[in-house]
Amino acid sequence: MAAVGGCGWAGVCEKFRTARTLSTVESRKDPETDPYRSKYSARALLQEVKQLLSAAEEGDEARLLAVRRAVLEYELGVNHTDTEELSAGEEHLQRCMQLLEPHRLSPDCVSLYIQAQNNLGILWSERDKIKTAQTYLESAEALYNQYMKEDGNPPLDPSEHFMAEEEKLTDQERSKRFEKAYTHTLYYLAQVYQHLEMIEKAAQYCHTTLKRQLEYCGYHPVEWALNAATLSQYYLSKQCFMESRHCLAAASVVFSQAGQVPSAEDNETDQDQQDLRQRKAEIARCWIKYCLNLLQSAQKLLEDNIGELDPDRQLELKAQRKKEEDEKEKGRKKAVLFGMSDICDSVLAMEEKVSSVYPLDFQEAREIFLVGQNYVQEAKEFFQVDGYVTDHIEIVQDHSALFKVLAFFEEDYERRCKMHKRRIDMLEPICSELNPQYYLLISRQLQFELADTYYKMMDLKVAIGNRLEELDSHTIKKINSLAQFAIKYYELFLDSLRNPDKVFPEVLKEDVLRPAMVAKFHIARLYGKLITSDSKKQLENMQTSLEYYTFLVDYCEKYPDAVRAIETELELSKEMVGLLPTKMERLRAKLSPFI
Amino acid sequence: SALPLNTSSAEGDAIKVCVRVRPPSEGTALGNEHQGLCLSVLSSKTIRLHSKPEPKIFTFDYVANMETTQESVFSTVAKNIVESCMNGYNGTIFAYGQTGSGKTFTMMGPSESGNFTHSLRGVIPRSFEYLFFLIEREKEKAGNGKSFLCKCSFIEIYNEQIFDLLDSASAGLFLREHINKGVFVDGAVEQVLSSAAEAYQVLSMGWRNRRVASTSMNRESSRSHAVFTVTVESMEKTNEVVNIRSSLLNLVDLAGSERQKDTHTAGMRLKEAGNINRSLSCLSQVMTALVDIGNGKQRHVCYRDSKLTFLLRDSLGGNAKTCIIANVHPGSRCFGETLSTLNFAQRAKLIKNKAVVNEDTQGNVR
Repeated sequence: MAAVGGCGWAGVCEKFRTARTLSTVESRKDPETDPYRSKYSARALLQEVKQLLSAAEEGDEARLLAVRRAVLEYELGVNHTDTEELSAGEEHLQRCMQLLEPHRLSPDCVSLYIQAQNNLGILWSERDKIKTAQTYLESAEALYNQYMKEDGNPPLDPSEHFMAEEEKLTDQERSKRFEKAYTHTLYYLAQVYQHLEMIEKAAQYCHTTLKRQLEYCGYHPVEWALNAATLSQYYLSKQCFMESRHCLAAASVVFSQAGQVPSAEDNETDQDQQDLRQRKAEIARCWIKYCLNLLQSAQKLLEDNIGELDPDRQLELKAQRKKEEDEKEKGRKKAVLFGMSDICDSVLAMEEKVSSVYPLDFQEAREIFLVGQNYVQEAKEFFQVDGYVTDHIEIVQDHSALFKVLAFFEEDYERRCKMHKRRIDMLEPICSELNPQYYLLISRQLQFELADTYYKMMDLKVAIGNRLEELDSHTIKKINSLAQFAIKYYELFLDSLRNPDKVFPEVLKEDVLRPAMVAKFHIARLYGKLITSDSKKQLENMQTSLEYYTFLVDYCEKYPDAVRAIETELELSKEMVGLLPTKMERLRAKLSPFI
Repeated sequence: SALPLNTSSAEGDAIKVCVRVRPPSEGTALGNEHQGLCLSVLSSKTIRLHSKPEPKIFTFDYVANMETTQESVFSTVAKNIVESCMNGYNGTIFAYGQTGSGKTFTMMGPSESGNFTHSLRGVIPRSFEYLFFLIEREKEKAGNGKSFLCKCSFIEIYNEQIFDLLDSASAGLFLREHINKGVFVDGAVEQVLSSAAEAYQVLSMGWRNRRVASTSMNRESSRSHAVFTVTVESMEKTNEVVNIRSSLLNLVDLAGSERQKDTHTAGMRLKEAGNINRSLSCLSQVMTALVDIGNGKQRHVCYRDSKLTFLLRDSLGGNAKTCIIANVHPGSRCFGETLSTLNFAQRAKLIKNKAVVNEDTQGNVR
């Protein structure tokens, strides 16, 4: 070992070690007013070590010296980026890479080289230059793969370059650290791809990262579970229900482990307990969405052009499923699994509790509905209306949506009507209490949904009535009252579009255009459906109906861009605007035949 | 099908975004090493960044150059928001930018002054003056018929924890929602205000309690987001009917944007550093999410709200008027951070409300 300055190699190592302790351990205790105190001291030490090294003679140990210098450049680079001096940090990291370039595939350099690239990736992402970050990280990924293919032995950890021989790490520890650095590469890449909107790739890298975290036990259970649950929501949007369920099942299993392990210090605060309960409720909400999406997707597959269950389609899909099941028996499924033996069984058991194939009849739909409903209860336990207004309402909205889609599978109209009534009962009280000044968005959603539900119930009652010989007074009363309620909520929704001086906007914004037009159109139809034996009243209703239809027609004439949003409704409205006056004329003539 | 529903009210469009370029200064590391400018202001709406190989041009609602006065920033940016606050809208003004880009100067004014009447005072003191001027005018117009009640609170969000700047002894506070009152900080001190001078006093008292830190980059860099909230309640009696209107004005000084790190990155070091500005990185995440949802699929995102976005959720797409002032330093050493600030500001312009009214028409037309 060449003499290094006047200080000796042991002294150099000591300085280096102190610098590392300062920047990783001590710096956490720095006061808020002086957050980088330890980092700055560490920097000074590193500079000293660098001085000492440059004073050392170059000779046949040139390579060794270069690698040590690279370690220092790396540490300095990280130090500068930590203290917000990106440009200086970049220079150091670049120098580190230059020094290592010729040796990057050898076991004493590969890990350092990958970590330098990781850090440059982060640095460039902080400058919003994602493409540049991507090149560094992808090259780190490639280097890992090449190294594992050509060599594969546990490489040296960068810190070992300043360690005495007897302190060096075990192969097992080396491997652990190397794999961790690479896991970071993948995780950063996942983020890079997300920023570049390469969503599929981002999801794939997230998935791999999660898998590796599990394999190398480098994870925090609660965080891991939340990540897995979030990933499940990505798969939902891609309609990959099997993958989605797998992620959720793994999330639930890993989370439950977190609950069992008593914390190290066992001084969990109320806050921690509260957090844990919230996380659990969050995972429950992901399950709700899973059930909801599975049911809704099945509905899409099964419905005919007026939104009713299509029995032919149902038979067809059942036959198809039978065929697929037979084939699967032969081929076994090939899904990406979090395949750790100790949790694998629990995950599989969890998965068995709910299906991942489309439900094709009421019975199957009901089973998924019930699972979803259980999670609704679980989520509500934490997200109570007092304190968590928005979350609570969102959960109630999901509950309502579960009933709505279940009603689709129900053949009996009376029972279907009762399901919608359940929705009304859960939505109405919230809607009336909510202050629209702070919850305008949700308030509108609730108004619209209530209107829509009453509208549906009225339709169902009309259909039930049509089967009777003659409409009895009870049914008529029911139909009229449902229609009145639907009108009330559509009007509330339309009122929410008014400005503080209660004026309805001259031009509707693109985003509210369609809901507003649909509300107007439905009100027009509702006035048309009101049943009355009083001809004068009937005439009035027709007049109101005509006014609403006319609004649509006039608006579209004035703003032709709007036509695209409501083509069908416009066509019908035009027809009604043509028909209604004649009808009204006839009614008027009947009313006063002698004039 | 599900439709996106924009809730910004009446003429209140998407968020207004303004950029302000500060003059390079002596005495800071940024000033000394500055060798040239990395940008030029082309007009009152456009700015050119001298990037290589191609320069980049950005367009905003308003670009204030180095000569723009505090008064003109106020009248272009904030005046309108204070006025709508009197009309019952909630309003929010954010300052965003790198440490040392002039956020505090823009919002507060020169730190050493401590004087409310200083000619260089910033947006916040000017907003106070204007607000109370409008209140007085309204009172005169309406005679005895109308009365006002102004209250304020001042909190800071540091490390995803909430602290009350008006009560430095208080421990971490929690955000909660009330079905009638919206989001509020549980237990935060609310002080009644009767004049602009009083408001300024409360503000400067709280400001001294903020968490600041010295780095070699900047001698005073804020580590926290500070939110000053004024609640304006008006009560009008006409005949026997009492009409109560209430609105919020939020004035927000964000922590330095250069420390905006992804919080979900693994590894202790990053998490350690990242946590300081968790709110900020979540802010942009929420924005991205707001912009690119829209495939109509329902999903639940586990990490959605940071404390800051939760508190201001109304401002990021409710019935509120919002303005972001993006501050940049023109020095060429700040190129990277300036670019990222301008990109952020550009993204902010895209924010619209994406709440969804479920409105399926199929089966309705029968």
